[in-house]
Amino acid sequence: MLLIQCPYCDEALPELEFAYAGEAHIARPADPSALSDEEWRDFLFIRTNTRGPHFERWRHIHGCGQFFNAVRDTVSDRFLMTYKAGEPRPVLNALEAAE
Amino acid sequence: MSRYRIPGKGRVDPSAPVTFTFDGRRYQGLRGDTVASALLANGVHLMGRSFKYHRPRGAVTAGSEEPNALIGTSRGPGRFEPNTRATVQELRAGLVTESQNKWPSLAFDIGAVNDRAYMLFSAGFYYKTFMWPRSFWDKVYEPFIRAAAGLGKSPTEPDPDTYASRNLHTDVLVVGGGAAGISAALVAARSGARVVLVDENPEMGGSLLSDPSIRIDGQGSWAWLADQLSQLRAAGVKLMTRTTAIGYYHQNMLGLVERVTDHLDQPPQGAPRERMWHVRAQQVILAQGALEKPLVFDGNDRPGVMLAGAAQTYLNRYGVKVGDCAAVVTSHDSAYYAAFDLVDAGGRVAAIVDTRPTVRADLVEATRKRGIELLTGHTATATYGRLRVKGVRVNPVSGSRVGAGRKIACDALLISGGWTPSLHLFSHTKGSLRWDAESRTFLPDHKTEACQIAGAGRGLWGYGPALEDGVKAGMAAANALGRNATPTGARVEGDRPGTGTSQKELPTDRSAGKAKAFVDFQNDVTAKDIRLAVREGMRSIEHVKRYTTNGMATDQGKMSNINGLMIAADALGKEPPQVGLTTFRPPYTPTSFGAFAGYHKGATFELTRKTPIDPWAEAHGAVFEPVSLWRRAWYFPKAGEDMHAAVARECRATRASVGMFDASTLGKIEVAGPDAVEFMNRMYTNPWTKLAPGRCRYGLLLGEDGFIRDDGVIGRLSQDLFHVTTTTGGAARVLNMMEDYLQTEWPDLDVWLTSTTEQWATVAVNGPNARKVLAPLVEGLDMSDAAFPHMSVAECRVAGLPARLFRISFTGELGFEINVPARHGLALWKAIHEAGQAYDICPYGTETMHVLRAEKGYIIIGQDTDGTVTPQDAGLDWAIGKAKKDFVGKRSLSRPDIVAPNRKQLVGLLTEDGSKLEEGAQIVLDPNQKLPMTMAGHVTSSYDSTALGRPIAMALIQGGLSRMGETVHIPMPNGTIRAKVTSTNFYDPEGERLKA
Amino acid sequence: MTTQRHNFDTQPFLLEELPPVARFSLRVRSANRGALEGALGLELPDLVGHRSTRGQAEVLCLGPDEWMILTPEADRDALVSVAASAYMQIPHSLVEVSDREITLRLSGPQALTALTAGCPRDIDAIPVGRGARTLFDNATVVLWRDGPQDFRMNVWRSFVPHVRAILDKVMAELKSGL
Repeated sequence: MLLIQCPYCDEALPELEFAYAGEAHIARPADPSALSDEEWRDFLFIRTNTRGPHFERWRHIHGCGQFFNAVRDTVSDRFLMTYKAGEPRPVLNALEAAE
Repeated sequence: MSRYRIPGKGRVDPSAPVTFTFDGRRYQGLRGDTVASALLANGVHLMGRSFKYHRPRGAVTAGSEEPNALIGTSRGPGRFEPNTRATVQELRAGLVTESQNKWPSLAFDIGAVNDRAYMLFSAGFYYKTFMWPRSFWDKVYEPFIRAAAGLGKSPTEPDPDTYASRNLHTDVLVVGGGAAGISAALVAARSGARVVLVDENPEMGGSLLSDPSIRIDGQGSWAWLADQLSQLRAAGVKLMTRTTAIGYYHQNMLGLVERVTDHLDQPPQGAPRERMWHVRAQQVILAQGALEKPLVFDGNDRPGVMLAGAAQTYLNRYGVKVGDCAAVVTSHDSAYYAAFDLVDAGGRVAAIVDTRPTVRADLVEATRKRGIELLTGHTATATYGRLRVKGVRVNPVSGSRVGAGRKIACDALLISGGWTPSLHLFSHTKGSLRWDAESRTFLPDHKTEACQIAGAGRGLWGYGPALEDGVKAGMAAANALGRNATPTGARVEGDRPGTGTSQKELPTDRSAGKAKAFVDFQNDVTAKDIRLAVREGMRSIEHVKRYTTNGMATDQGKMSNINGLMIAADALGKEPPQVGLTTFRPPYTPTSFGAFAGYHKGATFELTRKTPIDPWAEAHGAVFEPVSLWRRAWYFPKAGEDMHAAVARECRATRASVGMFDASTLGKIEVAGPDAVEFMNRMYTNPWTKLAPGRCRYGLLLGEDGFIRDDGVIGRLSQDLFHVTTTTGGAARVLNMMEDYLQTEWPDLDVWLTSTTEQWATVAVNGPNARKVLAPLVEGLDMSDAAFPHMSVAECRVAGLPARLFRISFTGELGFEINVPARHGLALWKAIHEAGQAYDICPYGTETMHVLRAEKGYIIIGQDTDGTVTPQDAGLDWAIGKAKKDFVGKRSLSRPDIVAPNRKQLVGLLTEDGSKLEEGAQIVLDPNQKLPMTMAGHVTSSYDSTALGRPIAMALIQGGLSRMGETVHIPMPNGTIRAKVTSTNFYDPEGERLKA
Repeated sequence: MTTQRHNFDTQPFLLEELPPVARFSLRVRSANRGALEGALGLELPDLVGHRSTRGQAEVLCLGPDEWMILTPEADRDALVSVAASAYMQIPHSLVEVSDREITLRLSGPQALTALTAGCPRDIDAIPVGRGARTLFDNATVVLWRDGPQDFRMNVWRSFVPHVRAILDKVMAELKSGL
């Protein structure tokens, strides 16, 4: 069971309080009707399925209720960092160097 | 006193005899004994039969790594447990134990013919021997294998014991209460850290318990141990004995199983049998010591052959000598000390046979001084005896030549093939291992977790080095926590340093092909099996393991992995690190299901939610069904009624007069704020802007993929406030989805969501007389059709309670749903029930609700939809706000696959023969086509309809909406049923009854 | 004090169901938090888990824009009406959830231990005077730590029988002394 740092509670808490919420930084298009079928398909279904650092969303569902973003290494299952929703995507190199 | 008990030795209590039985015979042991030590004290070595060959076996270890001495234990009715290790199970009064894998008796076992037929059972035998004919599998091979092989027998009664669990957070967790663990724990605790020290044994001390002759800081090791334990307690260390660390998971999370009562004669009432601890530690110190390996030679499994360290433990900890005259075969110095202790306690050791050509001078001297014959540079090539070892055949080895054999008589043979650091938990963390060429063993290398490894676990030998290493590990843990730790030193006298080697099977002058030289005792894997596996093409150690089953028994290779690797590496002509080790997986030792289940047993097996009205339903004989986590009243049978009769009566009563229904489980979400209507427009397919306060609308929620996710009636209470209802099962999911959009896609919207599912209890009243029942109870509202038409909502008082009253219907009848604060739910129900007596009001359950809605063609999410159904497929186009620019899922409704022809669409079905279809039955268009037939859809809902006087069904059928009036076919085991495709709106299609 | 009327020699902890209070879920943007504090006459702590009291009203911050407010039932209507009059200037959501939850009180020498049977987070790390929304077994609960061994736990109504049944098992276990 992982420990996850909730950026809103500023506390590392057991995974049981959290729910996974899919890949991060996939914004819903402002005007879906302007998208081609292929573009819309990509938005709906195409994900990176990364081996290594993965940008993903979690919700502190049994805690403060907030959705937030995380970088987790899918090989080691280790969280490199978590950050609030809406904050810019962190630069990977800096994170890996800090590991 | 039992024959093999040595007075004055051991930590058992000579004044406390304990009686138990083994295979029906009564034996006496002492308090502090294990079943194994008590049997050995009585001269009993034969404790079981092996898995495959049914060879007679005795205890080979004195601990949890035991592969042989597996017994059935019974602690009373329902408390039978198979495969208990006799070397771990503590004696308790009245314990009933039995051997396993034998028939008719342990001493004479028919199944031992497998031993003669061993050629049949060589490596990979089940891949080869039982290949064909195929039909033999069911009738011959499998029954034969199951009868002949297998371990123990399953309990037949439910387990009456209780189990517990705990979450524990600590600064430092130390696993292993031996010398290294104790010194690590004390240093860490004195730095101010919170420390937990666990050990799987009934008492702390580890190998110190088996080495009383050591002196530490001027005290005997046992006195020193007692002193250390009191210092640990004084420093606030939580000491947990009989507690096994079974798994080491991410971020220093460990699972511990504490055995609470199995050792007690009379467990106190309410005490759990076992307790699972979920421990999260900032720092972990692994001080698990090392496990002794056997030597691999012909007959190394005979009862009476045991690890030298085990014999030393039986002697010093339990005061039991394992035989009258022992012999030792070893490749490690440690076995000498076992022999010395045995002689010093008055026992006899015929000879020490060492595979190494030279031995440390002080050991040679000490051996000579005790009059023990020493044979260096020798091998063991056979043992004698049947149910108990009678002797060992040893031969000199020079270079690669094995000389003539000689028999040494003995009734106990102590063997040692060196020691393997216990790195199972470390390996759970994916920590890497490094091959140490000098000690020929694997040592811990790269760590992935915040942990330290101390003592014999990283290859150190002797108490001085172990204590010193423990101090270092404790300091390192304290420093990592930002604490200052003070190093301590301990002076060890009479230490027992040692080295040794790991090796393949011992050389022999006989045919190696006929030798039964066991590597994995429990799974009966021999050296020959491993070599055969390599010859037959297995190159990876993982393949060798699976082909031979080496290391796959309940001991998980604790004794066999390294020996197996040595032999496989030799056969492959590679160095052991090139061959590699198989993966250790949790749990470290076999763990009961009860420990994993914890409190989730019986009434708390899973969470069951109940509504405020549930007690009334229970008191009135309702039959319940589970709906997501809820239990809901399914139907209310009267005396003599079966389900069919009860549901038919409930349906009739509701349509004829009035019925009442507990709808409290429906999800409810308060959507409030200036942007509430904008949010609703974006989430739901329907348009909300023009919905006036006081009005309701059916809402349809899609996923972004265009498929139906949920539905429910939504009331607008004021300009900025919506009362949203969801399906029972969808409540949490829908709120999560809404929060997701609100927090991450539209954080600019001023709107907030609050779950009010449990704030309100909800009673639905349906039927032509619904208004007549309710009107007298309602205050502050004109309920007339003109003032409060269908799809209205208002706040008022009902039965004197503050209420939100909806005029809506899920039955097609005039209907109302009354929401009151949950604490008043039961009072409201009773008030309506009483008021309804004049109209024979009928409480109905979920089944009647399902029938009534199906008669109207109202869908149930998850029954008539399955995550691939669009609004068009379900005939719900009318619920789409076509003028809206966007809503969740809108773009997908024009995806090519969604607008493609021939999608499965929801239609009604009426069977020609008037039979009721089975839900889930497949539908075909042409019943005469060749098998396998092309499926055109399936039945989603099917009921007997009292209102229509015939069964009705709903189904998803390809192009269904364009097949109205066509006949489709439902092939069933007893013939094909013909059915006509119809509208799903079977009853009152014009909806006149709603307008009453 | 309930602790005084109870003999803890035989009872590891005391489990009580507290009488109902008026309970509200309050949501407001952080920019408007200060203004709403003034309008409601309540302090809305801005750190998750922190609490405040004003008169008989208690507030616990559950999320960055979410507070739970407890008031005596007699003060319920007054709070609703001040909130309603502030709404046009300070948009927010005040939803009554008095009946959504039931408050259990756990107190006594092993109250903390009893909670560790069901709560995965480190309960002892919650300082006295703070609180948290968390899990007890499979139920989402709101914990209020009122003393070292004195807790209130808000449990959704339908989850209470399960939570109590687990705590009953824990009680029997702790009574056994093992």
